[in-house]
Order: sequence, then structure tokens, then C-alpha cells
Amino acid sequence: MLDENLDAAVINLGNSDVDTEHHEGYFQLVWRRFRRSPISIIGAIMVLVLIMLALFAEFFSPTPVAGVDLKNTLIPPQKIHFIDEDGKFHLRPFVYNYVYDIDPTTFKVNWKEDTSKRYTINFFVHGSDYKILWIIPSDWHLYGVEEGGTIYLLGTDKLGRDLFGKACEAGRISLSMSLFGTIISVLVGAVLGIASGYYGGWVDNVLQRFTEFVAAFPSLPLWMALAAIVPKTADSFTIFIIMSCIFALLSWTILAREVRGKVLSLRETDFILAAKEMGASDVRIIFRHLFPNTLSHVIVILTLTIPNVILAESFLSFLGIGITEPLISWGLMMRNTQDIQTLGQNPWILAPIAFIVTAVLGFNFLGDGLRDAADPYATK
Amino acid sequence: MNENNNNIILEVKNLKLYFPIRQGLIQRVVGYVQAVNGVSFTLRDGEVLGLVGESGCGKTTTGRTLLRLYDPTAGEIWYHRISGERINLANISQRKMKPLRREMRMIFQDPFSSLNPRLTVKDIISEPLEIHGEARGRKAEKRVAELMEAVGLNPTLMRRYPHEFSGGQRQRIGLARTLSLNPRLVIADEPVSALDVSVQAQVLNLLQDLRERLGLTLIFIAHDLSVVEHISDRIAVMYVGKIVEMAETRTLLSQPLHPYTEALLSSIPPADPDIKPDRIRLQGEVPSPARPPSGCIFHPRCHYAKPECSQQEPQLQESVPGHFVSCHFAQELSLKGVKA
Ligand SMILES: Nc1ncnc2c1ncn2[C@@H]1O[C@H](COP(=O)(O)OP(=O)(O)OP(=O)(O)O)[C@@H](O)[C@H]1O
Ligand code: SF4
Ligand SMILES: [Mg+2]
Repeated sequence: MLDENLDAAVINLGNSDVDTEHHEGYFQLVWRRFRRSPISIIGAIMVLVLIMLALFAEFFSPTPVAGVDLKNTLIPPQKIHFIDEDGKFHLRPFVYNYVYDIDPTTFKVNWKEDTSKRYTINFFVHGSDYKILWIIPSDWHLYGVEEGGTIYLLGTDKLGRDLFGKACEAGRISLSMSLFGTIISVLVGAVLGIASGYYGGWVDNVLQRFTEFVAAFPSLPLWMALAAIVPKTADSFTIFIIMSCIFALLSWTILAREVRGKVLSLRETDFILAAKEMGASDVRIIFRHLFPNTLSHVIVILTLTIPNVILAESFLSFLGIGITEPLISWGLMMRNTQDIQTLGQNPWILAPIAFIVTAVLGFNFLGDGLRDAADPYATK
Repeated sequence: MNENNNNIILEVKNLKLYFPIRQGLIQRVVGYVQAVNGVSFTLRDGEVLGLVGESGCGKTTTGRTLLRLYDPTAGEIWYHRISGERINLANISQRKMKPLRREMRMIFQDPFSSLNPRLTVKDIISEPLEIHGEARGRKAEKRVAELMEAVGLNPTLMRRYPHEFSGGQRQRIGLARTLSLNPRLVIADEPVSALDVSVQAQVLNLLQDLRERLGLTLIFIAHDLSVVEHISDRIAVMYVGKIVEMAETRTLLSQPLHPYTEALLSSIPPADPDIKPDRIRLQGEVPSPARPPSGCIFHPRCHYAKPECSQQEPQLQESVPGHFVSCHFAQELSLKGVKA
């Protein structure tokens, strides 16, 4: 009935020249559905925050991210205070420097706040020089304290580096490498999946068997073996690329299968048949009809694959066969925690875990939200 | 037949399409779905042929095979071009088929799945124009506007996406796409069966109107005689991959010769509600085309079946001039039609 009215309405509209109502494309529809789920918004924010922290690590780090500071090794996270020793409230937050003494019997280091001097936290301060995004020279930092004070929100490591700033910087490698590795795997997986699903027959058979063959390798020992043969003398960039490719091995088989399944189901849908009926070439069918309709699923799988790669990277780097200095990643930062004694006395060096967990959760939330939103026509 | 040869647009001879049934790890072929199993007919230029049969009897597959969306297992499809050239579509390459695709087009059954959700209406309707290098950009847009108007859609809506339209409107979009290259032959595969009853008549009228204006030759597929009886010049009744009866619409309705046609006719609700319909209930299910019955495919459900029906297969024969039927007893039975 509604249908009939609409039909009549369309015909009666006659020749009014403007199409006043807005019309939504696919991505607007996806966005509208995505927006409705708070958890996916939270995921998106988590991911965005991590990306911003990584991109502008120097800005978020009060001290230079490169280099060591042996005067300030293994300092615990400094607390942010509003109320001083005398119980007086200060509108602007401040920190105290730490001083330590060593227990003469156990040699245990005891950190104490030196409450004699307050260091007020200033925002947008001038500090060490760096380049924004490797291009624009700047010396602005988000926060800092005046000369003589320190501010280590997550403490420092055994080389006196600010763990927060360092973790931000490490996010660059961890995030870009997992993204790069995932994109490689998506490219391989999508190409093989589309070829397999679209052409079917023996092409499909050969590709499927090959995928199964690769997927049958136990992945962990395989990566370890591959990572181990990366020459230690190679430059950072080469190592980055090679490691990314190794991580790509993790996921392309899953992706290829997912895409193949999607293409198989699409191949029989009427609009693909309609394209054939018009005389469209295979290239046109694949790029204009199949690929755009699988893209959303590819993006979902991509989002859900990234956390796996982040975890894998942390794991390998933790074992010392992944990223090595001078590159820095979250996994490599975790490597410092291998020494039980250091860890026991300085538990804050586990801080990078928070970044890893945030990344893994964030991408998973985001991916779940995207998966629900990716098919906006399903409920229609 | 020879003298009006130049009047013919399509000659189909013993067309077969078997879908292989695969099983097991190595996907061995264990049998065939005989979806189209020896279909023959001749179509005159400008004619409307109704193709009727229950769900699953192979109508869609026949239509798609005629347009080489599927490669026929056997048979011939002779297409007569305006120039008089005869081409057997059954075994030409897809490359050679491409220029013919602008002359023979299809309307799809499901207006929801047959439009790519990611393209705007304009892109959908102009796609055939692009593929065949007919028009691009401004020119294509103008043509799209004309086509939309012709099918009763407001051209200002061309930048919208299919999901913003109702079923009836979507089918009009599909229709505009089909007509975009001025085809000669259109195969309409149940173009209204997915629509609300209230919209069916509108779309049907539009189709009939366009057919007359554009002089299309039409193969109109439906599972219900009542849908095709008004639009068709001739009707072919299909059952499990075969045509069991074919005649002029009027003849077929008033003097059916095949028991299956009689059963289909009896299920048409009469125009006068006071007349109690004299329905012939068909027992059982349509047999699976993977294992068609022996002898006459209709014998398990036929009220008139005799022992020999399960032994011998009747052939489609011209029982009365212009009236083809495949039943051993076509001459003897006196079946009940409807008043046309
Ligand atoms: N791609 C395919 N692979 C295997 N079997 C198929 C395929 N397409 C159709 N079939 C089978 O072929 C037979 C005929 O199907 P077809 O779609 O042509 O019937 P139809 O008369 O159009 O029915 P409907 O009225 O439901 O549209 C059915 O038994 C169907 O299951
Ligand atoms: S041949 Fe026999 S079974 Fe078949 S339709 Fe005729 S009477 Fe019925
Ligand atoms: Mg069908």
C-alpha cells in the first residue's frame, strides 16, 4: 500500500527541478548505523587517541624522546597533586620530585616525594626542539614543569627515558607495522579471494589448496624461524618491511577465505548477473561491482586483524627476535620487564602493556562496530 | 514455416541446460539438475510469448540460457538479426555475444538484489550505455533522464541510491536499464512477482505500454497464468525443464490439451466471485529436475495417467496447427478450459 502511494507520489512530482531531500550514499548509511553503537565509538576514540599520541609523540612527551638520561633512571610514576603538604588547595596541579634512599640491609631503593618544592604543571610549554611529523620545526610540548623539576607520568626506564613519551613513540612502529602488515595481507588475501571466488573451477581449487597448505603451518614457530633469519645488520627500514611481511603471513589466509566466501555469494546475486547480461567485462564486474561490495567486509577484517598483528609483534619483540634497537615498539619496551628483579622493584615499567591493551581492545571494538554497520541494507 | 522466415527473431531447438551436482572433497560430479531439458520454440518478431510454470520448473534458467548467462549443455539458439543474419547463440564466444547483448536484454525477477546497492540510479541506468560506448557524461545523463521519465520516475531522483526506492520503483529503474539501449528482444523474468499486489498492475501496464510503443518482442516469464494472459500473444507452459504445451493465448485458455495446463487454469480465480472455482488439486510436489520421472514427466501427478504414461515419453507435437502439446492422449481427452 505504501508502495503504491510512493509510486503515485513519484509520478505526480512531475518536473519539479530540485531534488530537495538529501540522499545518503553507502558510507553515510554505515556511519549512521555505526554512530548508534557506543562501544564502537569508544573503540574509534581509543584508536584515534593512540594514533594521535604516536604521530605527535614529541609533543606529548615533556622530555626528548630520543636519548638517555642516566640521572633519572627507574623513577616511579610521579603523582599529580592539587593539595600540598599543608593541606592547601592549589588550582593548578603540581608534582614533587622524587628522592630516594637505599635501605642499608636490603639494598632496596625507597622513593620519597621531596615536598620541599612544588613544580606546577604548565601546559603548552617550550622545551626541546623537534619536528612535527618530521617536517615542521617546533619546541612546543603539551605539558612540562619548570627547570629543575621532572614530570614522568608513567615513570622512567633503566635508561632514564620517560615511559609515557617512549610508549607514544613506540606506537609509531607498533601501529604502522601492524597496519602495513595487515594491508599486505589484505591485498594478497583480497586478490586471491576474488580470483578464487569469481573464477571458480580449477583456479579456485588450486588457490584453495594453496591457502590451506599455508594455513596448515603452525604460525608461531614459523614466524619465529622467519624472524630469526632476518639479518641483524640490516637497516631499520628493511627490518620494518620484512617484519611486516612476516606478520602478513599471519592473516592473509583467513582474509582470502573470507573474501572468497563473500564473492561466491555475490557472484550469484542478480546484480552481478545483470552486469554480465549488459555485456560488462570481467574487469568491470570485479572492480565496479564485486570489489566495492566486498570492501566493507575487507575493512572489517582488516580492523579485526590489526590487534592480532599488534600482539604478534609484541610477542616476537619481547622475545628479542622482532623489532630491535634503534627502532622501538611496545613489544620491545616490554622486553625490559623480562628481568624479574627489575620488574619486582619497578613494576611501572609494565606501563606499555596499557598501550597494547588499549590498542587491541580499541581495534576490536571498532571492528565489531564496523561489522554490524557494514551491511546497512540487511535490515531494510 | 519457410515463407515467413524473415519474420522470425528467435528459433530455439532442443535447448538443454544441466547443472552439475558436485559432491565430496574433490567435487566429483555425481549427477545433473536437468533444469532445462529439451526446450524448442520459435518466436516471431514483435510477439509476446508467455512462459508459465510452477516454481523450480526451469523458467529462469531457460531465460538466462537464451541470453548466454549460462552456457547451454546442448541445443541451438538461432537469433535472426535485422539484417537477416542468423547467429547460433549457443556456441559463440562471449566476445561475439557482446554486441548482441544490446539487442537482447533481460528484466530481473528481484528488484532488490538486481540493482547494485553501491551505485546511484544514474550509474545503474547508464551502465549499459557506458559498456557499449553509447554515451557518457552529459549525454548519458540526458538519456537517463529520458528513460526515467519513460518508466514513470522523476528524473531529479537520479542521484539517489536504490535503497531509497520502493519495490515498484526499483523495478522501474531495472526497466529503464533494460530499455537504455533500445533492445529488440526483452526477456522479462517474473518482473512483478516480487512486488506488492497493488503495484503489480501498474508495472504490468507500464510494461505493456512500453512494449507497444517500442515494438518490443517479449518473452514474459510468470508462474501464474493470470499474470500473462492479458499481455501474451502465445503461451508456453513449462513443467520440469520441458515445454508441455504451447498455443495462442486464447486457444490455450479455452481449449487446453495438456492436463497440466488444465490444472493451472483451474487455479485461476474466476472473475465472477459467485462462480465456485472448480479447482483441480495437483497431488504431490513438483518432481526434482535432478531425478525427473520416467515416461511422461507429469505422470505422477496426472489425473488421466495410464500405465503406458510412465513407460513412454510423449514428444511435443503440433496436434492442431499452431497448438503444440506433449501428451499421449491429447487427442482423446476433453479438458476444461476457461472462457477467454
Ligand atoms: N545455479 C544453479 N545450480 C544448480 N541448480 C540450479 C541453479 N539454478 C537453478 N537451479 C535448479 O534448477 C531448477 C530450475 O530453476 P529455475 O530458477 O530456472 O526455476 P524457475 O522456474 O525460474 O522457478 P521460480 O519460479 O522459483 O523462479 C531448480 O530445481 C533449481 O533448483
Ligand atoms: S502423457 Fe499421460 S501422464 Fe502425461 S499428461 Fe498425458 S495423460 Fe497425463
Ligand atoms: Mg525464476
